[in-house]
Amino acid sequence: MIATVLKLLGRRMLAAVPILIVVSALLFCVLRVLPVDPAAMSLPPTATIAEVEAKRHEMGLDQPLPQQYLIWLEGALRGDFGRSIHFHRESGSLVAATLPATMELAVAAMVFATILGIGGGLVLFHVRDTAFEPIADMASILLLSIPEFLWALILLFVFGVTLQLLPFTGRVSPGLSQPHITGFLLLDTLVVGRFDAFLSAGQHLILPAVALGLAFSPAIMRVLRSSLFDVYHEDYIQQARLRGLSESRILLGHALKNAALPTITLAGVQFGFLFSGTLLVEVIYSYPGLGNLMVDAVRNADLPLIQAVGLTYCIVVLVINTVVDGLYLVLNPKLRVR
Amino acid sequence: MPHPIYRSLRSARVLVALGLILCIGFCAAFASSIAPHDPSEQNLVSTLLPPAWAIGGDETFPLGTDSLGRCVLSRLIYGARTAMTVAVFASLGAMVIGSILAYVSGYFGGAIDWIIGRAVDVWMSFPPVILSLILMVGLGIGLDKVILAIVLVDWTRFCRVLRSEVLIVTGRDYVAAARLLGFTHWQTLVREVVPATLPLLITLISLEMAIAVVVEAILSFVGLGVKPDQPAWGQMIADARQYVYQSPWNLLFPVLAIFLTVTAFNLLGDGLRRTLDVRLAESGR
Repeated sequence: MIATVLKLLGRRMLAAVPILIVVSALLFCVLRVLPVDPAAMSLPPTATIAEVEAKRHEMGLDQPLPQQYLIWLEGALRGDFGRSIHFHRESGSLVAATLPATMELAVAAMVFATILGIGGGLVLFHVRDTAFEPIADMASILLLSIPEFLWALILLFVFGVTLQLLPFTGRVSPGLSQPHITGFLLLDTLVVGRFDAFLSAGQHLILPAVALGLAFSPAIMRVLRSSLFDVYHEDYIQQARLRGLSESRILLGHALKNAALPTITLAGVQFGFLFSGTLLVEVIYSYPGLGNLMVDAVRNADLPLIQAVGLTYCIVVLVINTVVDGLYLVLNPKLRVR
Repeated sequence: MPHPIYRSLRSARVLVALGLILCIGFCAAFASSIAPHDPSEQNLVSTLLPPAWAIGGDETFPLGTDSLGRCVLSRLIYGARTAMTVAVFASLGAMVIGSILAYVSGYFGGAIDWIIGRAVDVWMSFPPVILSLILMVGLGIGLDKVILAIVLVDWTRFCRVLRSEVLIVTGRDYVAAARLLGFTHWQTLVREVVPATLPLLITLISLEMAIAVVVEAILSFVGLGVKPDQPAWGQMIADARQYVYQSPWNLLFPVLAIFLTVTAFNLLGDGLRRTLDVRLAESGR
């Protein structure tokens, strides 16, 4: 079974490669029509025209566009995305330094979104055909209308500024050292045994993760609710009732398992969106991840860095979607028969 | 059964949403007569004032002032103009491009359907926020550029959803009957397929307006939206975020404005979906 799933996963990964190539080419073209000259930008303002020309040649900017793309692609495959004009460092290493922070945030948010989504979905289903249904329904639409951007600001206002319960800037409190082993701060601080830093990192993670989770849980709630409705039309639910099982046992032991499949697929798709949603939450909470790097790059028209970060976002989202497809296969035996 | 439009107008959701949207639209249209101050008029002696009802508030600035002493209420009202302009034009633009491609793709099928389908796939593998940021780098800032960027990112939403609906409608017998009666492809599309998909299209536009308001706020927040001299809710949030300790109120008002606008459009979309879609209206769920 594992072999079949791995084979299918491999096939999906291969299918993602052409998309990735087109995406990277598009990214390249969009950024090359910009009215900025990366060569002139990476030299001091006193540089002569000859120096700029030499730099253009060195950067391959005097070549035709397809040629430039191939040069860039060849570098990118070796992990060389060119030097950031603004930060004067390799774009690849900048991405590598910030990606773990964003991953940590995304995973924490996803865990929270799933818990809240399943809980909320069960509640929504539980109040069906009661006086609470319209209220719960309305609440879920209201929740659905608040994007992560607004949640982040609301939580910052309530818990950060007004109640002053939680920190809302950065990854740890200033003054605490940040060990660098894997880049996943919660893990690193535990490995080094710095529990004060671990606690601080955890506290800093709460608001951004909850903001993201709140924005992405309503969709999970609603899908779980409607798949539970579908499942309850099945004969085996009636059968379970005839066997005298309690309603909660039917719901949690029988219906939930069968309603989980569409919910997991949706949660997976949501995870892809959630990952790109980290961008704004990071900016609002000054969280030093990929999102802040992207915004810095964009503000400074830092072409090599924009390309590297933009491509990273696309790759991560594609990988997440592929893995979710694979997970779906593992969980749904009907699809495995070939 | 009453006409769907009347049914919609009797739905509480639609009425509440339309009321809210009319209020916001009114502010946007008559901003210059409602606003107590010029939104860019700076008053450097009274910066970061709290609202008039709070301690230290000034009656001439009902909702207080920002870090440059500009009237928050006036900026909110003018911000509504920016938000509504983007909402209307960006969603219509995305609708035109997305739906034309969807009709062509779903009605004709074959190679053209395949090509459009792959284009949508590639487009959607860019996270929307990332794509709009990158486009703004290329286009430069400004209201028209924001609209263009949203159109270029969000046409896929219309295309994908509408295409599958067109596919279903095209397979119906009455469409085949129309062709047998000698309708041209154009006539069939305009007189049979488009009217059948209109409810979905209206719902999608309403939802897209909500998305456009958020995207405009996001881009302005990051500093890549409208020009700095044009008031926008996203800019107000960015300014308030910097002075959040001195003046937390300033953060609250634009957030509330965005929330109300987005909720209104989503509520409208949800209400229209329930009442315009015959199947949903009959099942009552």
